[in-house]
Amino acid sequence: MARILLVDDEQSLRVTLAANLELEGMEVVEAESGERALELLRTTPFDLILSDIRMNGMSGAELFERAKELRPEIPVVLMTAFALEDVVRGALRNGVFAVLPKPFDVEHMSRTVRRALKRPAVLVVDDQEEQARATADALRKIGLRVEAISDGAAALRLMEDRAIDICIVDLVMPGMSGAEVVERLRKSRADITAIVVSDYAVPELMQRAAANGAFACLRKPIAADELAQVVAEARGRAAMR
Amino acid sequence: MESRTKDLLDQHMRENYRKTSRLFSILLGAQWVFGILLAVVISPRSWAGLASATHVHIYAAVFLGGAITSLPLFLTLTRPESQATRLVVGVAQMLWSALLIHLTGGRIETHFHVFGSLAFLAFYRDWKVLAVATVVVASDHLLRGIFWPESVYGIADPAWWRFLEHAAWVVFEDVVLVFACFRGIEEMRSIARQRAELEKTFAELERTHQIVTRTEKLAAVGQLAASVGHELRNPLTAIRNAHAYISKRVMKSDAASDARTVQFLGLQEREIHACNRIISDLLDFARERPLDLRPCPVRPLIEEAFSIVTGRDGVSLINEVPVDLPVPALDKGQFRQVLVNLIQNSVEAMPAGRAGTVRVTAAMDAGRWRIGVADDGAGIDPELHAKIFEPLFTTKSKGTGLGLAVVATMLKRHGCSITLQSEVGRGTRFEIELPAQTPSAAAA
Repeated sequence: MARILLVDDEQSLRVTLAANLELEGMEVVEAESGERALELLRTTPFDLILSDIRMNGMSGAELFERAKELRPEIPVVLMTAFALEDVVRGALRNGVFAVLPKPFDVEHMSRTVRRALKRPAVLVVDDQEEQARATADALRKIGLRVEAISDGAAALRLMEDRAIDICIVDLVMPGMSGAEVVERLRKSRADITAIVVSDYAVPELMQRAAANGAFACLRKPIAADELAQVVAEARGRAAMR
Repeated sequence: MESRTKDLLDQHMRENYRKTSRLFSILLGAQWVFGILLAVVISPRSWAGLASATHVHIYAAVFLGGAITSLPLFLTLTRPESQATRLVVGVAQMLWSALLIHLTGGRIETHFHVFGSLAFLAFYRDWKVLAVATVVVASDHLLRGIFWPESVYGIADPAWWRFLEHAAWVVFEDVVLVFACFRGIEEMRSIARQRAELEKTFAELERTHQIVTRTEKLAAVGQLAASVGHELRNPLTAIRNAHAYISKRVMKSDAASDARTVQFLGLQEREIHACNRIISDLLDFARERPLDLRPCPVRPLIEEAFSIVTGRDGVSLINEVPVDLPVPALDKGQFRQVLVNLIQNSVEAMPAGRAGTVRVTAAMDAGRWRIGVADDGAGIDPELHAKIFEPLFTTKSKGTGLGLAVVATMLKRHGCSITLQSEVGRGTRFEIELPAQTPSAAAA
């Protein structure tokens, strides 16, 4: 059974959220502060940390940084009711799994939690192997699980049996283009979110990728932390209202 | 501006006519009394040859003077601003001069009454009054000079050109006075113009002040709304969590057979959702979210917006954005919100029960994107065009009045402008203009 560390200084929010997660069959350990959460992290194994950002004392963002040092393998999902743009952006760029804006839909929250529990990887697809590897290394350094591959068709095969939830694909590739990868992915694995990147202005391919549900289009060169931010945004994407 | 100047000048002129007429009404009355006194005191002595208890001049002063005075006096009191009044006063003053000159036996000093009267008449600043008066006094001198010279010159055989000499002096004064009239009017006009300018400046100042006050008030309200909105989110999340838990438990229990319980659970969820939307609208409006500009194809974005909009039976949504439209850099989340609000607005512009179409188009024009959202709904009253982007303005019974205000603020952050064309009963078209982007920002 997955064990979740739930951190929030607002009791009403914490107990109601815990009840819902328990209803989903998870084991929840509650902490009313970041400090208390760190104590628990030292003594108890957890599969996921779910924390509010704004708390008295240690903030959720701070807790995330400390937990990253202490238990880098545990995914962290943050929640926020406040527009703390800089804090949120900092966390997203630093490898947080997702940030959920409150008030969230309970279904959406538990879906994100379940997704994080699988500790899914990001797949980087680029025909230039060098570049694919460099991107993967940079993202790994931030704390993401990443795999890299240089061929579209091979990427599709790989995604069939690996725990991958995000596919970062180059639009312009020999053989199968990025747009085609996105199109096929939509049919076979709709649960995988595509992010397309490109060196060139290719409106037709971008258009095709976006029409097939690509989460974002990015122009190279892209800083690794910005890419990490987009990945986390895709993972925390709220159900459309 | 010009017309206001004219109005003001007109107003000043009428004011001047009224004041001058009032002065003349006093003068005319006083002249009459003076004329009678003059007849009583002076005339019998001057005309001592025919001594009598009541000299004919006294009758002349009373009745002739009364005849001359009554009409202008009546007019100055009842129609002080009319031109007829001024002309009649001009004639009467000259007739009074003639009568007084006659009563004093043609004394040359009494002729000064003519000059004094002309100066007084110049108060009207109307050259026509002076012209009429001049004609009257010249005719009087000419005719009396011929038939009764003693009455006007005090001697029995003046030279035939004597009236010309008098008339020449009168004309001399007229020239000065007419010049003064025109200059007076010119001064009045320049004062009127200055005042009109002052009024205009003042009105602008007033308007600016109102805008500033309003903006400040809105900023304060926005801040308050944002902080209230934020504070409400935590409790609302707790309520939502609790509701989700209770719903699941109840639906698995016996209570699920009670129709009302099920109905109310659904109602709770909808209302919580509605609260959430109001808060989101408030925060969208009040919060300065930084833009995350990334290449964003427009056509798929419209499709996304269509899927979010709450549709209505009979209203079809048509995406006519060309597939090969160059890709702009946009903040996807915020721009989608703009489109959702506009499209939702268009859907709701359809009169209830009527079918309709909402059409989204896009085109490139001189490096700029033009995105149009058009409906064939009820249209917007022209008087409301300026107001619809203002926060808290709504024509709907259920609405925060923030939808289009959010559109306006988000577009402003994107550097976009929005315009609208609308015809009541025919429909409305909003057009967003996205400025040209540097190649590094845009994808195409």
